[in-house]
Amino acid sequence: MIELKQVTKQYGQATVLKNITLTVDEPGIYCLLGRNGAGKTTLLKSIAGYQNITEGSIQVDGKAITTATLDTGVSYIENFAKHFNLPVRKLLKSASEVNPDFDCDFAFEMMDRFELDGKKKFHHLSLGMKTMVSTIICLASNRQVILLDEPVLGFDAIMRMEFYDMLTESFQKHPRIIIVSTHIIEELAKTIQKLIIIDRGRIRFFDTLQSIETKAFRVSGLQENHPMSLQEFFVQMVGHKGGGTR
Amino acid sequence: MKALFAVTKRLLASNKISFILTAVMVLCATSSGDVILSNGNYTWLLAVLTPFFFVFYDFTKLMHLGASKKDYFFGCLISYGFLAFCISLANTVIHLLIDPVYPARTVINLMDVCRWTENGMFVAGLQQMFFLLLVMIFLHVLLSMQAHWYGWLTDTLLVAVICVFTPIASLRAVLAGFFRLIMLNRNAALHIFVCLLLGAALSLAGIVVLKRKTL
Repeated sequence: MIELKQVTKQYGQATVLKNITLTVDEPGIYCLLGRNGAGKTTLLKSIAGYQNITEGSIQVDGKAITTATLDTGVSYIENFAKHFNLPVRKLLKSASEVNPDFDCDFAFEMMDRFELDGKKKFHHLSLGMKTMVSTIICLASNRQVILLDEPVLGFDAIMRMEFYDMLTESFQKHPRIIIVSTHIIEELAKTIQKLIIIDRGRIRFFDTLQSIETKAFRVSGLQENHPMSLQEFFVQMVGHKGGGTR
Repeated sequence: MKALFAVTKRLLASNKISFILTAVMVLCATSSGDVILSNGNYTWLLAVLTPFFFVFYDFTKLMHLGASKKDYFFGCLISYGFLAFCISLANTVIHLLIDPVYPARTVINLMDVCRWTENGMFVAGLQQMFFLLLVMIFLHVLLSMQAHWYGWLTDTLLVAVICVFTPIASLRAVLAGFFRLIMLNRNAALHIFVCLLLGAALSLAGIVVLKRKTL
């Protein structure tokens, strides 16, 4: 369970997270949506204990999370994550050695499915392949909380579809909290259980996709025969279509 | 324990550049004249280079691989202990086997300079090992702090201490006394005890720094 209480994060004068209170109490795949600079990465990094918050508290399974937490039980991966320049197979093997809970079978199965060359060194992979390796390591870590920061960056359409399948399979095998931050809203809709929308450091929406329908109609006043897309709903929630000053 | 040793193995395996640079220096360094430097001295280079790689190169990668901060920290300590043993063994062997090859010349080995060899080669090797362990832990903590203000403050303090203590005779004696205690010490028991004590204190400081380390 993830529990955030009145979390504020400031970088100098800029407040990136503003008094966020949020409880994610049941296993599921959650989608974290927000514009660039909305605070997604800061929020995920704070939950992972990779950086400290300015005010408030974060708990994961009852354990307070700060940079001082030496073993958080959270697995977080960012895009452009740095890894040892080892062949992919050896890198996955190393991940299984440093983390006793690592699901080696799942990792190698995914490596084969995504046609990752096990002998190819990490630095020689394309951006999409690198991201895929990072994502596999994160999902196979078997931690109770998995945080994926823009995992589909650099993926082609087929890889993205495969990724969504992998996410579902991984969750079915080990139900836990998986939070995925992304900009590609519609594609993930079939995979996720709940949606979190963050804008300018505040949580604007946190509920199931089903509730969006009612909420969307309330927000937009649309008729039922004109259902609102997730993208339209997102635009409504953040209150601007872009192009203007923030 | 398995994870800890896996982290240690990975740390050592990714330290190839340090190993290669040290090996090149040990094998290729030459001196001329009647007084020459022992090539064994260059093995100490490994103790200086290693913490740079552990702190700036390995930490982030191990975290992304799924290792815990705890395993990283203790993995570093085990690696430093192992490397201190290997460096000390290599330098002692070079001092025993290679240095006597130049009988007509004076060969300077740091083990002699530090007066450790007065206690016999075995004890000298042990003194060297614990001293190098202290050096590596000190560098690790100092380098880990560099991303924070207190790292810069520590750098400034160290430079200030050396600049102020060196020209003033009474303070110079204090500084010299400190180095006699941790390095130029022929009392093996006291030397090893001081190195272990300072190493433990610095390790505790290292945990505090690690707890503040962000990614």
